[in-house]
Amino acid sequence: MAFFFKKKKKKRCCVVGLDGVPFTLLEVLTRNGVMPFMEKLKRDGNLRSMTVTLPEISAVSWSSFMTGTNPGTHGIFGFMDLKPQTYSLTFPSYNDLKAPAIWDNLKEIGKRSVVINQPSTYPARPINGVLISGFVAIDIKKAVYPASLVPQLQELGYKIDIDTMKAREDKDFLIKELYSTLAGRSKALDLLWGNEDWDYFEVVVTGTDRLHHYLWDALGDNSHKYHQAFLDYYNKVDSFVESTYKRFLDVAGDGEEGSEFLLLSDHGFTGIEKEINLNCWLAKEGYLSYMKDSPDSVADISDSAKAFVLDPGRIYINYKGKYPKGCVESAEGESIMREIKEKLEKVEFEGKKVIQNVYRKEEIYSGPYLDRAADMVALSYPGFDLKGSVKKDVVFDKTVLQGMHTWDDAFFWSFGRKKDNLNITDISQIIIDNFKS
Amino acid sequence: MKGFTIWFTGLSGSGKTTLAREVEEILLERGLKVEVLDADIVRTNLSKGLGFSKEDRDINIRRIGFVCNLLTRNDVVAIAAAISPYKSVRDENRKLIKNYVEVFCKCSIDALTQRDVKGLYAKALKGEIKNFTGVDDPYEEPDNAEVVVDTGKETEEQSVAKIIKTLEILNYIPRVEDANEYSGDEEDEIKARLKDLGYI
Repeated sequence: MAFFFKKKKKKRCCVVGLDGVPFTLLEVLTRNGVMPFMEKLKRDGNLRSMTVTLPEISAVSWSSFMTGTNPGTHGIFGFMDLKPQTYSLTFPSYNDLKAPAIWDNLKEIGKRSVVINQPSTYPARPINGVLISGFVAIDIKKAVYPASLVPQLQELGYKIDIDTMKAREDKDFLIKELYSTLAGRSKALDLLWGNEDWDYFEVVVTGTDRLHHYLWDALGDNSHKYHQAFLDYYNKVDSFVESTYKRFLDVAGDGEEGSEFLLLSDHGFTGIEKEINLNCWLAKEGYLSYMKDSPDSVADISDSAKAFVLDPGRIYINYKGKYPKGCVESAEGESIMREIKEKLEKVEFEGKKVIQNVYRKEEIYSGPYLDRAADMVALSYPGFDLKGSVKKDVVFDKTVLQGMHTWDDAFFWSFGRKKDNLNITDISQIIIDNFKS
Repeated sequence: MKGFTIWFTGLSGSGKTTLAREVEEILLERGLKVEVLDADIVRTNLSKGLGFSKEDRDINIRRIGFVCNLLTRNDVVAIAAAISPYKSVRDENRKLIKNYVEVFCKCSIDALTQRDVKGLYAKALKGEIKNFTGVDDPYEEPDNAEVVVDTGKETEEQSVAKIIKTLEILNYIPRVEDANEYSGDEEDEIKARLKDLGYI
C-alpha cells in the first residue's frame, strides 16, 4: 500500500523593491487604472506610506533597509563621504557597510538568498546564495556573486543600470533603456528563480527612480511629450510585480506556511521647484570662504571657514583638530550650529519656507559610527532640492533635473498590517522575524 | 560588528604586546570597539598576588579569558597578550569564547636571547630568575593557532598584515583591499553617474 503525502511548501519571502516610488503616486496610479495589479494588492493587503532615514537618498535608504539600522550603526551617510580627518572625498562601497545585511542574518539561520540589483552592494561579496549588485556598480565582473554567473547574465543582456549620461540628454533613449534594463531584471529572475533553492528572493527595479529624475514633470502634464510614456512604464512595472507575485504563489502557496510577499520603495519623489545651493548660502551668510575664486571641492575652503556642506544637506562644522584647516573651537560649535539652524529655517523662496528642519546628528542617528556623521542634516520642504556644490554662485537654481527625493512618502505593502509608523529600518526585522516564527 | 577575541600567545619578548597594540590601532581606525588585556598589566590589578606556578599561571589565563568572553559577547574586540604557556588552558578559553582567534608569536630562544630588551633572558639563563618560560619552565606551542607569526624573521608590518588578513578572511572584519579603493577610472565613472542623477 502506498502512502502519498502532499509535500509541505517551505516558508519563503520575496521582496520587490521599486526605487523612488512614492506612496502618494501609487495611490493615484492604482485609482486611474495604470497599475491594475497594484490596485488588487491594495484591496487585498496593506499599502502604507513609510518614512526613511536621512538624508533620503538611495545609498543611505537601501543600507538602512538591508541592515535594519540607522546610518550611525551601518556607517553609510551618503553617496560620498569625507575621509577621516581630511576634506578628501571617498565613495563608500559595500565594504564600508558596518552592519550585517538581511542575507547575512538569514545565513545564520541556514536560509539561502537570491538578491538581484540591490543598490549599495558593490563590489558584491560572498553570501549564502546569489548577489547581483545594483547602483553604483560599474563592472559586472565585480558585481556578481558567484562570479560564475557573469557569462550567463551577459548572455541575457543583463545591464546594471541605464546609461545616465546619454539618458539625461535624450529622453527617447531613456525610455528605451528603462525597458531594456527591466527586461534584463526579468530574465535574471527567470534564470535564478527556479535554478536556485532560495528562501529569500529580492529584486529591485531602479528604472522608476531614473524615470522620475528626468521626467517627473511629464507625470502631471497631459500635454507633455512623455506623459504617456511615463504611465506606460509604470504599467510595465505593474506587470512585472504581477508576474513575480504569481510565480511566488506557485512556490510558496497561499501563505499558510507563513510565506511573505512584500513590496517597498526606498524614498518618495516630488517635483523640483528650485535647487538650493547650501554652500553658496553659507558663504553669503559669512560661514564659508574659499582659498581660491573658483573652488573645485570642499578641500579648497579657507582656514577661516566655519562650516561646509556635502550633498545633499549634510552640514559639517569645521572643527579645530578634526579637519586640517579647522578653526572652530569645540565650545564655539554649539552656538554656530544654533545660528545656522535658526537662519536656515527662516530661508524663503517667493514667500515659501525652504527648510523644514535642521537636525543635530544625535537627534537622527545612534550607534558606533555617529562620530563620522555630519554635525547637522537639513531637511527641505518638498520642491526644494538641497545641493552641496561649491561651484554654484547662486542660492536658488534650476537645472535639467526634474525630480527630487522625499523622506516621508516611501511605501510598504504586505498582506497583514505589520507595524504602525513604519520606517525603512523596520523592514529587515519583519523579514527575519517571520523566518524565525 | 560582532565581537571577537584575538589571543596573542608566545614567549616573553616575542612581540605579543607590540603586535597587539598595532592591531588595536588598525581596528580602532576601522571604527571597532577594542580593549587590550596585557598580562603584564593584568598582573598588577585583576591577577595581583598571583605567582608563576602552573596553578597561578592557569588562574591568570582563565581570568583574562573570562573578561575577553564578556567583552566579546558585548560586541567588543578583546585583544589578549599573555605568554599563556599551557595548551589546555588556552583551549579552555577557545571553547569558552565563541569568536576566538589565536595568534602564535613564534620566535626561537636564540633570537629572543639576542633581542632580550628587558634583560630577562640573560638573568634567567644565569639562574637569577626562576620559573622563566622557555628557559626553566615549559611553553607548549599551539598546534591549531589561526595565525602564526614568526617574529624572529618577519617585520612588524608583515606580521600585522598577516593578522589583519586572517581577520578579514574569517569575516570578523570587512575586507578593505577592494573596499572604496576604486580604480581611478571607476571612481570617475561613479562620480559622473552621481552627477547625472543630481546626487553630487
